[in-house]
Amino acid sequence: MRECVITREQKDHLDILHLDGSLDAYSFPKLESALNELRETKRHHVILDCASLDYISSAALGALIGFARRSREQKGDLKLARLSPKIFNIVELLGFHKILDIFSDIDQAIRKFA
Amino acid sequence: MTPGLIHALGVVPLSWGLVVLSLLFLAILFARMRQLQRERDILLQEKDVIFGFVHDVGEVFVDADHIDLDHLLKRVLFYAQRTTHAGAGAIYLLEPDGESLRARAAAGIFPPLVGEVESGLEHALSKSQHVETLIKTRVVSKGEGLIGAVADFGAPILIEDAEPDPRVPHYDEDFLKIKTLLLVPMRFHQKTIGVMCVVNRVDGKPFILSDLNLLQSLADQASVSVHYAGFRETLDEKKRIDHDLSVARRIQTALLPKEIPRVDSVELAAFNYPALEIGGDYYDFVHVDDTHLGIAIADVSGKGIGGAIMMSVCRSILRAQAPGNLSPAQVLKSLNRVVCQDITEDMFVCMLYMILNTSTRELVVARAGHERPILSSGERGDFTIINSPGIAIGISEIETFESALEEATLQLRPGDVVVAYTDGITEAMNAQNEEWGIENFLDAVRVAAEEGANSVLNNVRQRLTRFVGNRAQYDDMTLLALRVMR
Repeated sequence: MRECVITREQKDHLDILHLDGSLDAYSFPKLESALNELRETKRHHVILDCASLDYISSAALGALIGFARRSREQKGDLKLARLSPKIFNIVELLGFHKILDIFSDIDQAIRKFA
Repeated sequence: MTPGLIHALGVVPLSWGLVVLSLLFLAILFARMRQLQRERDILLQEKDVIFGFVHDVGEVFVDADHIDLDHLLKRVLFYAQRTTHAGAGAIYLLEPDGESLRARAAAGIFPPLVGEVESGLEHALSKSQHVETLIKTRVVSKGEGLIGAVADFGAPILIEDAEPDPRVPHYDEDFLKIKTLLLVPMRFHQKTIGVMCVVNRVDGKPFILSDLNLLQSLADQASVSVHYAGFRETLDEKKRIDHDLSVARRIQTALLPKEIPRVDSVELAAFNYPALEIGGDYYDFVHVDDTHLGIAIADVSGKGIGGAIMMSVCRSILRAQAPGNLSPAQVLKSLNRVVCQDITEDMFVCMLYMILNTSTRELVVARAGHERPILSSGERGDFTIINSPGIAIGISEIETFESALEEATLQLRPGDVVVAYTDGITEAMNAQNEEWGIENFLDAVRVAAEEGANSVLNNVRQRLTRFVGNRAQYDDMTLLALRVMR
């Protein structure tokens, strides 16, 4: 499985993290530390661009919900954008689409933050 | 003037001159002697330091092959301080990722070389404790600041006069002021494994080159032991995890039903293969009332003991709630309400709970984020994926969970087969890193469905075993099948 490469793009008060690769138990800590860093610098408006994400484990998805919840406590959010059908299926199976905000493109997600 | 007087006059200045000269000579001699004495003292002192150092190096390693890493580092640091007369010191070790460093030992009040001290210092009960916690929790990236630079380039840094140096942080607090500073790399086989740093000599003098050389020698000697102690630590950690897993496996095995219940005109079958890294699968059959059988299958997201304990909690609640309750959604809601309060953040449980009316063969299904069960219809031989909406247990607000959960009701007919499974089956991998996948799984079910529940079970097991080969699996695999007999 490919490692996950994370590229950060900053747009005003928003941070877009472009994810490229796989997120499993071994590669998730990398995203976790990137998200923690944003939280420490009080940046709570985050969009995860999943267009190039090949795989995400259900445990990693669960952890993302934890991040979304903590962001919401700070009046922010963690939103997901551009999920592949395969990944959306996992999210839907777990019922997480009822908890996380999911968008088919990034602009939509940005507009939702405004 | 008489010749005698002339003589006398000539002699007197000459002898005075001699006296002055010899006094001067004596003074120089005396000064030189003092200087030599001082040099001798310094040499003796240095000799003491070297002897002390050689002794210390011996002490560091006297039982280094069986003390743990933290003790070893503490000891190394103690002797590093003693050798260099440093007021404070710290040892940073490279993390397993090879990209960041963490302080594993600190002595004296070691002022942070990166990051801030402001937060909470005034309110800290013990300032030294607070500063130590700060430096031990602040991870330093390779290349960041002085510590990161030493780790990156593998070369020592000596800053005799640190106060005007822009690379050194300046603190207002007296106890944090850095006057002189010395950092050396710890190397093993040409690879940097850490950085040893000392600050401020107790005698107020600056560190000098000889301090650097001594500290580097100590670091070079210590690195070998530190490397092996770190290696042992990883091994101990692995042993601990193995133990954790074997306990978890025993808990998990104890939770599974010892036997499959016998129900008139319904054939039931189930298997569970625990994975190498315990996954936290569970299945159960519960007596709801005389005409209703509860069938549950679940998968906890957490692994190890945490997951096993969560599973045992779920089992207890399910077994307490199930009797007499004919609505599977209601049972899952009660379960979620209890689990919500106890479950750790980010952990969740996917569960499928079905209630079969054994006289009418009506099946009511509620699905909390679990894999959708499959209905293979005996008469028409077609497949239905039983889809009912629901969210995994323990991760959402109670209202969100309850409003999302809906039941699906099916009237089973003779020959119908219902199969429930965990994702360990469809995500099983072979040596080529290929997933078995839902299509292969459905095929295996389809071919055997006509033969009955046990046949489905055996066929899936056979094809799955053939597919994965020798490849170790990292997730539990669980399968349940029921067939209404003709």
